Amino acid sequence: MSDTRRMLAEMVDPLFAELGPDATEAKDLSRLEQLGLPLLLVPEDEGGFGGDWIDALTVFRLAGYHALGIDIPALAVERADGGQCEQTMAFARTCQIAGALDAALALSVAYANERQQFGRPLGKFQAVQQSLAGFACEAAAANCAAMGAAQALDRGDAGFEIAAAKLRANRAVEVGTTVAHQVHGAIGFTQEYALHHLTRRLWQWRSEYGNDAYWSRRLGEHVIEDGADAFWPNLTARTDP
Amino acid sequence: MQTFVTEAVDWPDTAPALRERVRALVAEHGERDQVRRANSWTKPDPQFSRKLGKAGLLGMTWPKEYGGHERSQLERYVAIEELLAAGAPVGAHWIADRQSGPLLLRLGNEELKRRWVPAIARGEAFACIGLSEPGSGSDLASVRTAARRDGDGWVLDGQKVWTTGAHVSHFMIALVRTEAGSERQKGLSQLVVPMDTPGVTVKPIVDLTGAHEFNEVFFDQVRLPGSALLGTEGEGWKQATAELSLERSGPERYLSSMVLFLELVRHASVHRNPELDMLVGRLAAEAWTLRLMSASVAAKLARGEDPALEATMVKDLGNSYEQAIPQLVQAAVDFGSPDNEVLRAVCFYLLQVSPSFSLRGGTREIVKGIIARGLGLR
Ligand SMILES: Cc1cc2nc3c(=O)[nH]c(=O)nc-3n(C[C@H](O)[C@H](O)[C@H](O)COP(=O)(O)OP(=O)(O)OC[C@H]3O[C@@H](n4cnc5c(N)ncnc54)[C@H](O)[C@@H]3O)c2cc1C
Repeated sequence: MSDTRRMLAEMVDPLFAELGPDATEAKDLSRLEQLGLPLLLVPEDEGGFGGDWIDALTVFRLAGYHALGIDIPALAVERADGGQCEQTMAFARTCQIAGALDAALALSVAYANERQQFGRPLGKFQAVQQSLAGFACEAAAANCAAMGAAQALDRGDAGFEIAAAKLRANRAVEVGTTVAHQVHGAIGFTQEYALHHLTRRLWQWRSEYGNDAYWSRRLGEHVIEDGADAFWPNLTARTDP
Repeated sequence: MQTFVTEAVDWPDTAPALRERVRALVAEHGERDQVRRANSWTKPDPQFSRKLGKAGLLGMTWPKEYGGHERSQLERYVAIEELLAAGAPVGAHWIADRQSGPLLLRLGNEELKRRWVPAIARGEAFACIGLSEPGSGSDLASVRTAARRDGDGWVLDGQKVWTTGAHVSHFMIALVRTEAGSERQKGLSQLVVPMDTPGVTVKPIVDLTGAHEFNEVFFDQVRLPGSALLGTEGEGWKQATAELSLERSGPERYLSSMVLFLELVRHASVHRNPELDMLVGRLAAEAWTLRLMSASVAAKLARGEDPALEATMVKDLGNSYEQAIPQLVQAAVDFGSPDNEVLRAVCFYLLQVSPSFSLRGGTREIVKGIIARGLGLR
């Protein structure tokens, strides 16, 4: 990670953590504005922050991680694009899903290490370990997909990558939310406990800006129209210098 | 928590040219049979390996002094992903190029390095992995094959099993007990065993597809020189498990069924229907993601980091993916129709071999256990 990006993360992380799911635009938008976040994607010479798409990933992911009550990705995308371009918002939701999955995983692992049953922490039971390992893989896939899409956006045309990334992240929501709730038992099903801030948003984001059927069909049509022999050469050409 | 520290992979400037070279070579000398293109990294073709050696595509990252080509790790990654995606028959040299060569260069004495490394880079020496035994599968620390000191040398007795390619290999790197009476991870060492040493017997094991890829290997009073010891005596466990990041995250962990995916795309372009479109889209998205994950681990390895947790996650996701493809294709395609012959043949072959994907290199359960420990559980 570059130094400026690390600084951005170090600035944003505690603020989003503090504001959390209860943040509202009326009450808290000014705090985000002080850091220039709504102008994240506006070029510097137009008075913006001048962030690239990996900066966007960093901020959007943290918004997801802390289940921030303000839709900062939507604000940033609107300022940059002058509207909520479907593709960019699909990318934004992918980043938020990636963050929220990591946060739900962290909660679940911590809970499994702390909660005791049968005289030992849940995390000692192999069945629990294996479910959480599967969850971790899905969270990792969503995060890598978000990064791949961000890189493609910085390169230019990212239609393929955004479709693939949103689809992959959507699929990770299923395993992630299921395992997170299972591991937490009844406490995770309460309004008081923090998990639902993450999982209820995850279910919402999976539907927004393209559900699985939508993106898999678009992506599939695209791949089939290009033809089998073009699949691998196209895939590699998209990342090669 | 961020379990997989993602980063932008810098693909090398030489990648496009390198891909062209590999594609041309595969077009000329690769495998034509679609079924044999599946799971191609277990298909030995020594002649093809020699061609790759001549083309400078083996030992790509190794020092020139030992026959290598001093290319970057990511350049090697480009070459091997091309070979696998094309279903090239890379089985003969795969293990030697991927792990035995690097291990010898890192830990081997001069004699071992001179004897084996340049020959691997030429595509003339092939290697096999001697870990599993009849009583030691997932519980690898229970190995019983033992070597005892005899003057300057060693005498080896015991048995390995499931040894892929032992019948085409020139040497094995075996994990054996070198301290009598030692237990578990202690007292193990790695020995380099030339397969033509008297007392080494290889017996084929035919797998459920009818193929002969793995073997039993017996050691009956096999005499080896002192120089057969790889690395440090008693450090075998650490040495053998340190290789695992190399072994677990390569593109071979998700590409074994790529040929079937491509046949599915071919089929779907003739028989258009929304369900097939969606299946193709889903599998394409997964391939795209796994490629980034696998390459990202390669980039970290190239910088000298040991991304063991990430590597293990790539294996688990990759194996599940390549294992799911034949099942999903079977569920979606009507094999009754005669114009599906190739698709059907590739699918049925992969249905049969795919159970091995989540066994070889560590089973799904063992791999998930390692991930769990990486997460801080246990
Ligand atoms: C195609 C193929 C090629 C191979 N090539 C090689 C090779 O070249 N060299 C080599 O040394 N080995 C090789 N192997 C062997 C491979 O490494 C072993 O199959 C693997 O380590 C599992 O050992 P096992 O088969 O004895 O199964 P077991 O260890 O007996 O396991 C059987 C089942 O029980 C589960 N299990 C075991 N222990 C636990 C536990 N503690 N918790 C939960 N579940 C558990 C396993 O996950 C598995 O599902 C190969 C295997 C295959 C299939």
